[in-house]
Amino acid sequence: MSAGQKNRSDKNLGAHLRDAGLTALICLPLAFPMFGFQLVPGGEGGNVKTFGTSVELRFFWVIIALIVIFLGRLLISLLSSKAFSKQVVGAQPRSVNTQSMSSITPWLGPGILGVALLWPWFPFVDRWLVDLGILVLTYIMLGWGLNIVVGLAGLLDLGYVAFYAVGAYSYALIALNFDLTFWQCLPLAGIFAAMFGILLGFPVLRLRGDYLAIVTLGFGEIIRIVLLNWSDLTNGPDGLSGIPRPTFFGLPFKNDGSGTNFHSFFGLEYTSMHRIIFLYYLILVLALITNFVTERIRLLPVGRAWEALREDEIACRSLGINPRNTKLTAFAIGAMFAGFAGSFFATRQAFISPESFTFIESAIILAIVVLGGMGSQMGVVLAAIFLIGMTELFRELEQFRMLAFGAGMVAIMIWRPRGLLTKRKPSIRIAHTVDFK
Amino acid sequence: MKNPILRVENLIMRFGGLVAVDDVSFNIFEDRITALIGPNGAGKTTVFNCVTGFYRPSAGQITMRVGDRTHRLEKLEGFKIAQKAKIARTFQNIRLFPRMSVLENLIIAQHNELMRASGFSLYGLLGLSGHLKAESNAVKLAENWLNKINLIDLADIEAGELPYGSQRLLEIARAMCTKPKLLCLDEPAAGLNASESSDLAKLIKDIRDRAKCAVLLIEHDMGVVMKISDHVIVLDHGAKIADGPPVAIKKNRAVIKAYLGEDDENGGSPPSISACSRNALEN
Repeated sequence: MSAGQKNRSDKNLGAHLRDAGLTALICLPLAFPMFGFQLVPGGEGGNVKTFGTSVELRFFWVIIALIVIFLGRLLISLLSSKAFSKQVVGAQPRSVNTQSMSSITPWLGPGILGVALLWPWFPFVDRWLVDLGILVLTYIMLGWGLNIVVGLAGLLDLGYVAFYAVGAYSYALIALNFDLTFWQCLPLAGIFAAMFGILLGFPVLRLRGDYLAIVTLGFGEIIRIVLLNWSDLTNGPDGLSGIPRPTFFGLPFKNDGSGTNFHSFFGLEYTSMHRIIFLYYLILVLALITNFVTERIRLLPVGRAWEALREDEIACRSLGINPRNTKLTAFAIGAMFAGFAGSFFATRQAFISPESFTFIESAIILAIVVLGGMGSQMGVVLAAIFLIGMTELFRELEQFRMLAFGAGMVAIMIWRPRGLLTKRKPSIRIAHTVDFK
Repeated sequence: MKNPILRVENLIMRFGGLVAVDDVSFNIFEDRITALIGPNGAGKTTVFNCVTGFYRPSAGQITMRVGDRTHRLEKLEGFKIAQKAKIARTFQNIRLFPRMSVLENLIIAQHNELMRASGFSLYGLLGLSGHLKAESNAVKLAENWLNKINLIDLADIEAGELPYGSQRLLEIARAMCTKPKLLCLDEPAAGLNASESSDLAKLIKDIRDRAKCAVLLIEHDMGVVMKISDHVIVLDHGAKIADGPPVAIKKNRAVIKAYLGEDDENGGSPPSISACSRNALEN
């Protein structure tokens, strides 16, 4: 029996080798043009046609790439087959896996919140890292907002950045034209964005899945193109500048010596860090409000109806739930939070242009929601830290950082295909039932 | 004669050139289980979908009486049939909310009441507790039904994890949580084993007797139909061919002909429908 088993595993190894070899072979045509040629200045072929450059062949690089791919593929297939055989032998390895995850998750939320609260005061944190924190928190807030639409209500929205843009532009235009403060403009921007959410919601009420995705994608582009071309209002591609900065309850973060400023009021030395740290806490509070509202709504009838709509719209209809109103509230509330985030973005940058609201932004926010595990609030946080934090940290690698981004996505899809955190807590429980744990 | 709760008059449903339901009229009474039977393609499901608002009939009237108000179903928007006209339904291929817990499935069925109690969820969002009483009432109703279908110990697991038979019962319980006056069941016994379908029969009778809800069901399992229904309506090729108590239907020649084809040439005594139709329908 053992001989037979050995024979089988040998055969398996052969199969793995063949598989790895095949993968390397497939990569050859890819690796050859990418690694195999290098343009070098001058060189023997320096004529007019090549503008004084020539191509150098680099066989050595191609060989290294193939070896790396061969070994990597072999490793992945060996590891996954080992995991597979364990799965067959061991009883229910998946539950073990989720259990080890669930032992961490209760501490994850408070832990990350604690770090987030103290972040600007850590000794190693400089201005750049606080800025990075602001960026990550903006994406967390956007992810939480989109999570309402995609994760809870199950409406695949590829144009979410449109509401972000509406929020940013409404804030900028109101603040520039009517001389209102940040705190007066913020709710207005949210309301405008929510109105656009309803505006988008109406025509797409009957659409689901792919079709809805296409229409929302188009909507996102329409908003961007309108912003680009309506020069009288939006100043077109030049964008809006001089957007008022937020004030600390009326105290501006300025050093112009006129009137009471934040630093003179508190008797501090002026540094620009004050404003950065204030912005950091501002977005932290906004994001936490988003989270609080979402968590709360999930336990209320509207939130349950969203989730039911995600699960089965026809069944919802048969239970007397109004699908139109339910969808529109999801679109409106999701869009409102994007509007808040947008006005924060405008006040932080003091300059906005349609450039900032391209499709790639929608795609990144959606990636955060999907990688985090649809509907999971904590998952959004982890995915945003991972995706945004990693791409910024790898900025020094320049062109390779998109490679790291892609590799991270592939890794998550291999190990956690349904997202980082997928466990869903029921919104209501019966007190006296047996707890299955 | 008593006043019917649901009145279907001259119902016609056309799909392009095909007439799926041709001038069908029948009544459903409050304290009865009414079965809608017929061979495959007879138009049962089409009638059913017209009544429950999933199709808009080409012609005809469907009137539902709730208390002393009447609703014309063919004019109501789909979701209002459950909300206003108090008609609940189940589906041939079970449509639960699989990734939500068993209890949540039953709570969602009481959505409209909870929305009203919680001020469209606004009170809850502002931290007011007015809706909590309504919610605990909703849980009580859900517990009541979970006890009836023996799922109370599994209330907090995902509905999609339940075995098939329990999912069917849960779907009926969910429909009942909307507090309907008429419950429409689309092949409730499909795929159930003998003991499960006898549990089902008990549940349906309980719904008629204790919940005071009329039942309309489509069913292929003649054993179940003959055992529990008080009234049977038989459709064939989109037209009604018989309407009466089960005992009369069993002997009706037109019904036997519809199920077994041209059979009256034999001249012998007509075979009992429950035995024959089961053979005919089991392939």
